[in-house]
This record gives sequence, C-alpha cells and structure tokens, in this order.
Amino acid sequence: MCCSNNLTEKDLLPGKQDTSYLERIKGMRFFDPHIHMTSRTTDDYQAMADAGIVAIIEPAFWLGQPRTGVDTFRDYYSSLVGWERFRSSQFGIKHYCTIGLNSREANNEALAEQVMEILPLFIYKEGVVGVGEIGFDDQTPAEDKYYRLQLELAKEASMPVQIHTPHRDKKKGTSRSMDIALEHNLDPYTVIVDHNNEETVKEVLDRGFWAAFTIYPFTKMGNERMVEIVKQYGTERIMINSAADWGISDPLAVPKTAALMKDHGFSDEDIRMVTYQNAITAFAQSGQINVDDFTVAQGIDQSEKFEGNTILRGGQQPRVDKNSMIIK
Amino acid sequence: MFNYSWEQLTKTIAEVVSQNVSGEIWNWLHENTNQANTGRFNRTFAAIPSKTGKASVSITNDQQKQIASLLPGFTIEGWPVDRLCRVWLLMQLDATDQQKYFRSIENLFLTADVNEQEALYASLPVLAYPELWAKRCAEGIRSNIGTVLQTIICDNPYPSVYLDDKAWNQLVLKAFFTEKPVHRIIGLDKRNNKELADTLVDYAHERWAAGRAINPQLWRGVGRFINENNFDDIKRVFDSTDKIEQAAAALACNDANYTPAKELLQSHSRLADEIKNDRLTWWILGERYMTVLA
Repeated sequence: MCCSNNLTEKDLLPGKQDTSYLERIKGMRFFDPHIHMTSRTTDDYQAMADAGIVAIIEPAFWLGQPRTGVDTFRDYYSSLVGWERFRSSQFGIKHYCTIGLNSREANNEALAEQVMEILPLFIYKEGVVGVGEIGFDDQTPAEDKYYRLQLELAKEASMPVQIHTPHRDKKKGTSRSMDIALEHNLDPYTVIVDHNNEETVKEVLDRGFWAAFTIYPFTKMGNERMVEIVKQYGTERIMINSAADWGISDPLAVPKTAALMKDHGFSDEDIRMVTYQNAITAFAQSGQINVDDFTVAQGIDQSEKFEGNTILRGGQQPRVDKNSMIIK
Repeated sequence: MFNYSWEQLTKTIAEVVSQNVSGEIWNWLHENTNQANTGRFNRTFAAIPSKTGKASVSITNDQQKQIASLLPGFTIEGWPVDRLCRVWLLMQLDATDQQKYFRSIENLFLTADVNEQEALYASLPVLAYPELWAKRCAEGIRSNIGTVLQTIICDNPYPSVYLDDKAWNQLVLKAFFTEKPVHRIIGLDKRNNKELADTLVDYAHERWAAGRAINPQLWRGVGRFINENNFDDIKRVFDSTDKIEQAAAALACNDANYTPAKELLQSHSRLADEIKNDRLTWWILGERYMTVLA
C-alpha cells in the first residue's frame, strides 16, 4: 500500500519506455505471489503475460477506503475466487488468492466480528492458498485480536499465512508478528512474512520464516537494493513480489528485478528461486497449487477451440494492437 | 418436489460417479453428505475438485441414453468429474423443508468460485422445486464469466422450460453477443417469439453497419416471423456468396409462414431438397459454422 510520495516535476514528465530488459529474461517464467489485480487494468494483465508471468497470488486487502458492511466483504472475497480469477485466465495467467481480514479494517470491531464468521466459507475454496494478508498496521489491540484469531483459522485449515508487516514501526511490528505466530504454534515454514527490508530480513530468515520482498517504488523496496540483499543472504526462503495495487506501483516488478539480477551476474537458477520457485514451494503447502495448471493456462493458442466450439478455452481475450490508431 | 424421477436419476448418476472416482473418494463423498451439518456440506462442496481432479467423465452409451430418458435434454457428457460429483452432492441435499433447501443452495451461489458457479448452474435441471430457480437462472445470464454463461446457455434443459419470455430473449441475445454455439441451446425453436425475432433483425442490421459477421443461427429466430417488413433481409442473406449464410436463409424460409419466403426456397431446388431429406438442418448448419470458425 502506498503512502505520501515526494514527487518532483521531473518524476511526472512522460518517460520513454525501454522494454529491452524483456530480451534478457526471454523464456523465463515468473510467479508474483502478491499483487492486487482488482485494482489493475487489462493492459497490465497483457504486459504481465508478455513478460513471462504465469501465475499470481492476490491477497485480500484494504481497497483504499473502509468498507461499511459485511456484504461488501463477501462480494470482494467472492470476486477474488470468481470474476478476477476468470479475468486473469483470459490472459493465460493462473490466479490464486489468499483470504483474510486486513489489519486496517480489523479496527472496526463490530464489522470484524461479522467478517470472521464468513471467512471459513472462503478459505476452503479451490485456489485459495493461504490466510492473508493479515497482521499489523497501527498495532492496536483490535489488530492483535483478529490477527491471532486468523492464525488459529489458518492452523485449523492447515493453510499457509501471508503476513503484512506495518509501514510504521516496521522492525518491532515484524518481530511482534513472528512472536505471535510462534506463540500460536505455527510452523515458521508455513508463514510468509511480507514487505521486508534490509532491517528486518535477517531476523525473519534466522527464525525460519519465509521472507518476501515487495518491489514498490518510493515506499517499499527498490530492485537495486533487492539485488544487494540476494547477494548478501542468498536465495533460500526469499521471494519477491510487486504488491501492485491502486497506488503508484509496478505489476512488472518481478520480471524487471529478474532482468536486473541477470545484469548483476546471477545464475538463471538463482533468479528462478526468488522470482518463481520459492513462492510456489511456500504456498503449495496449501495443497492448492498444481504447476501443471500454469502450462495449461499458458499453452493456449488463441485460435484453439474448446469442445469443438468457438469459445476460446477460458474465454481468452483476442489480442489488440495497442499501437494501431485504428480501433476495429 | 422434483419434476423427474429422483430415485432413478440419482442412482444412474451415482453409478457414473463411482466409475469415475476411486473407492476412497466415493466413500468420502458418502460420509460427507451429512444433512444435519451445513458447514460440513459446504466444505465438502468446496473441497471436491481437490479430491477428484478434473478429468472428463467417462460414461457408457447406455448410461447416456438412460439419463436422457429420465430427464430430457439433460446430459453430463464432457463434464469434468468434479462438476459431476458436485451435482450428485447437490442432489443428496435434504429438500423436505423448501425454505431451508432454497437458502442452502442460494448461499452456495453467493460465495461460489468460478468452477462452483459452473456446477451450480449446470445443476439447475436436477434441483428440487424447479420453479424456484428461474430468478437465479436469469441472474446467471447476466454473468460476465464466459464459462459460467455457457453452462446456462448450452446443453441445459432448464432455461427453456422455466424462464419467462423476457429472460429467455436475454439468454438468446447473450448467446449471440458472447459468441456461444447457439445451436446447442435447448428449446430454441419452441421458445422463438415475435419480439425476439424483431430484436434479432435489428441486431443483424447493426452488425452489417459495423462490417461484422453474423452468426447464421440468427435467422433461425426469424424464420417463423418472416413478413413483408423483414423479407428483404432474408433475400439479402439468400443472395450471399457465403454457402453457410445461404443455407441459413433457406432454413429460415423453410420455417416461414410467409408465402413469398416459401416460394423463394422452392426456387433454390437443391437447398430445398437437402432440407427435405434432413441433409440440411439447423443443427448441421451450426456444427458446420463452428468448424469454419475453427
């Protein structure tokens, strides 16, 4: 989630797009384990597919303004397993999600109670790979309460947990999130601690958790810093994501970071671990990820017919030439 | 409660399910049809694909025939096995309390993921109190998810029996707009009506204006309602150099109650002959059109 950015005039000038990095990662497959496609356009989906992203996880989150009733939560969760999943499939990208009550809205306790009641309706659904994103924002008692309740829910359902660590007071908030997870007897190997930085990564890895990094301009990690972190800590239990959402963010953060790693001389195998495999290993503990499904989604020829009829499998979108002035 | 023989159909479907899943999964399904516990039922419904996988159901010709005779128009051919198991599970839900039954299933719709929506809409023909689901079916036609829409529109005997004209016409129009295999709509000819025919003709004019192709099945909805106002359109299609369009015009004329249309068909003796001998039907034309698109 984005905060206030210190933009200058220069930052706002239209830039030239340099897509040459795509050449250097040609043929690589990427998995973005944190991206909010609900807030993104079909152009993003197209660009992601073109850059080699084959699968994504969309964590349930705060939509930018608070919800006022349980029905809007239910509709949101059902759109994550319904409409958004379909939208993604149209671009050959396999869509998974995590379901949870985010930390900000945990502070509306009357509503949070009702949301907790409907969560079990969703966490057992096909393609739901964890409880998330949950954790702390302000680190209030209410946030603490619903974080714990959802850890119990994850334990009962044998699901991984995707933890959102706070922007403010991050270091302490991250430690506290892990303390509580251990207090509830969760195996750290099933817990993905997200939005790490140079200050938090060591403790997260030392304690046996997965460390996820969000490449998000201005407020979280830049990918040059990310490259340094992988140099220092290696690739074990490290994964990167874009967390692209309604703020100024980049849905191509994962492939771009892969290209940057390539430029810094990392092996293809190292790149594969942090931009693809580790996220799969961590979230596949839900029993809900089948890598063969990516190939099925990707290998679709747009002219291929399903059951002998004209419906493109999964209703794939025909390609549009973006550079053409003529719109047919 | 049911508009078909529930005992016989559930027996046949159970037989097909048991052929397509392991004994272990079959037992698991049985154990979890516990009526008393809604939470358990919902979780079983959600968990089915993770247990069964999604391979296509294999079914014998005899079983297919039996299903078709028990519930005309209903088919499970080509279904993925998870959908079949879900529909079987829905058939086991206690239907004695109508209110409770309706609420349980409606709640499944409200939280359904894509595959669950497909299974739920595919199950409409076998649900108890069939008239209760007309609104839900009409709502489904508003879906923007192509695969969900297809399970309502194609090979589904529910809509033509229970939808009112307004909803039915939307279904047909949606089928054209979203490029579904229209010839697989069940009950198409029986439900054709003047209002739909007029709208289809307007739609054809829009397509022509935009320089876009027209699905030849469109004229199937017009045939019985050919009159002096739209006959020029039929003549235009008949004059097409495209063989499929020409055949569509011929079939429409064959359905017409308008003498000039009948005469037009007779002046094309080869097409008239093919129709007479069932070598040209709307179904054959539909399949041919799909092959051309492919």
